[in-house]
Amino acid sequence: MEGKIFVVTSGKGGVGKTTATASIGAAMAMEGKRVAVVDMDIGLRNLDVIMGLENRIVFNVVDAVKGKCKVRQAAIKDRRIDNLFLIPASQSDNKDALTPEGVIRLSKTLRKEFDVVLMDCPAGIERGFENAVAAADEAVVICTPEVSSVRDADRVIGLLYSKSITPKLVINRINPYLVERGDMLSHDDVMEVLSVELLGLVEMDDQVIVSSNIGIPLVMNKDSKAGQAFKRIAMRLNGNSDLPIEIPQYGNGFWRKFSQKIGLSKPRRIHA
Amino acid sequence: MDMTDNELLPVKLKGVGDSLRVTLDPTQPMELLKKELGKLFERLKHLAINARVIIDPGEQGEHEALIHELGLYLKESFSVGWVTGPPQKKSEEEERVRTRDVAHSFEHHRSDVLFLSGRVRSGQKVHARKHLVILGDVNPGAEIAAGGDIMVMGRLHGSASAGQPANEEAIVLALDFRPSLLQIGNMVAAGSLTAKGERPEFAHIKDGQLIVDDYLSLNPFSKIPWPKTR
Repeated sequence: MEGKIFVVTSGKGGVGKTTATASIGAAMAMEGKRVAVVDMDIGLRNLDVIMGLENRIVFNVVDAVKGKCKVRQAAIKDRRIDNLFLIPASQSDNKDALTPEGVIRLSKTLRKEFDVVLMDCPAGIERGFENAVAAADEAVVICTPEVSSVRDADRVIGLLYSKSITPKLVINRINPYLVERGDMLSHDDVMEVLSVELLGLVEMDDQVIVSSNIGIPLVMNKDSKAGQAFKRIAMRLNGNSDLPIEIPQYGNGFWRKFSQKIGLSKPRRIHA
Repeated sequence: MDMTDNELLPVKLKGVGDSLRVTLDPTQPMELLKKELGKLFERLKHLAINARVIIDPGEQGEHEALIHELGLYLKESFSVGWVTGPPQKKSEEEERVRTRDVAHSFEHHRSDVLFLSGRVRSGQKVHARKHLVILGDVNPGAEIAAGGDIMVMGRLHGSASAGQPANEEAIVLALDFRPSLLQIGNMVAAGSLTAKGERPEFAHIKDGQLIVDDYLSLNPFSKIPWPKTR
């Protein structure tokens, strides 16, 4: 069976594309799939650092596309998780080093070698985005509950639809306390604007910074709420779409539900 | 009756359909008019009894009193049935269009409306040659434009330009009216344009100003007595 290629994209930078790619990739590999994560952010290589594999890079994705090495040589095997491979970006080139045609050629090999390929798309909607999206079968759009991020995600969703890719959405970095107070867009507000299939809601989590600094996959940390959320997202991407979506809650929820019911506290509305 | 002689007279009589149409010059003194009317109606003899008479004093000015007085005189002297002023002017073209619209329920009419369903997303542009109807939402950052009216059956949060390039009669209507930028003809407005929210609102130009009003309470089209194409 041919492997599936997912692109992880967002439009806006700094919303958690790379973290999401690393986490979803690790979670899928832990489920037994043979996974490759590909860093398409040529010139701004990050995914290797997040995964703690930076000092094992020999070849990169540009070499693989240009035929300087085989895909197997460029793919770095993760030592902690079986079946997880990283194809790093080149740090010395820029986005023009690749072309969509080159990526499509590479993807034929990737589909044969792996069950799942995750492409970490750079920010922006220019050449880097075109390259990352060129071969994708499905897209995961990451967005945070901020107006600017929603606006950019909306643009990217439009572009993906125009390429006949139906995107799915992950809302990242939700702060349930701020949502509760009405100072942050709720996931309902975001969905109202974007209206695509929701893959999962990820809570703001300090563990993300800790684990990316020490290069340990987030999903291996059982205490990390974000890690567990990404695990469920990976399961849903794997076809387990019945898995209910957990909404990050602030507090134990009883008094909140109770007071909402009797009309004491009503979430304020912010417009996306 | 010799019609050619009538041309020079202050009062003329003519049979129109089932009624008698009297055309007269309202500047002439009342006595003269009555005398001339008398002459004409005497000739009619029994034909005047119960007849329907239309008195047409010409186009300009109000002549209610004149028509009333002459009406009384005709009723007393010649037992005519009804006396009325001239019917309201209506253009034949307009009447033809209305009759046709009702008879064929607009089936002959070819529409210039671009009718879309779905979500218009940030960065996308929709331009309609004439009217634009969108069943769906217009997201922030999206741009929609039309030569005529714009109707959004959903949220309008993007920018909307109606009546392009110079139709100031155009309106922009949305169920959730919150555009980031609004243009009708040459007039532009930006900022928080919603009047109240929660209810359908529309923007139009009134007295040279672009204003937003509640659509249901100030429906400008409900005053048009007859459906017509826009």
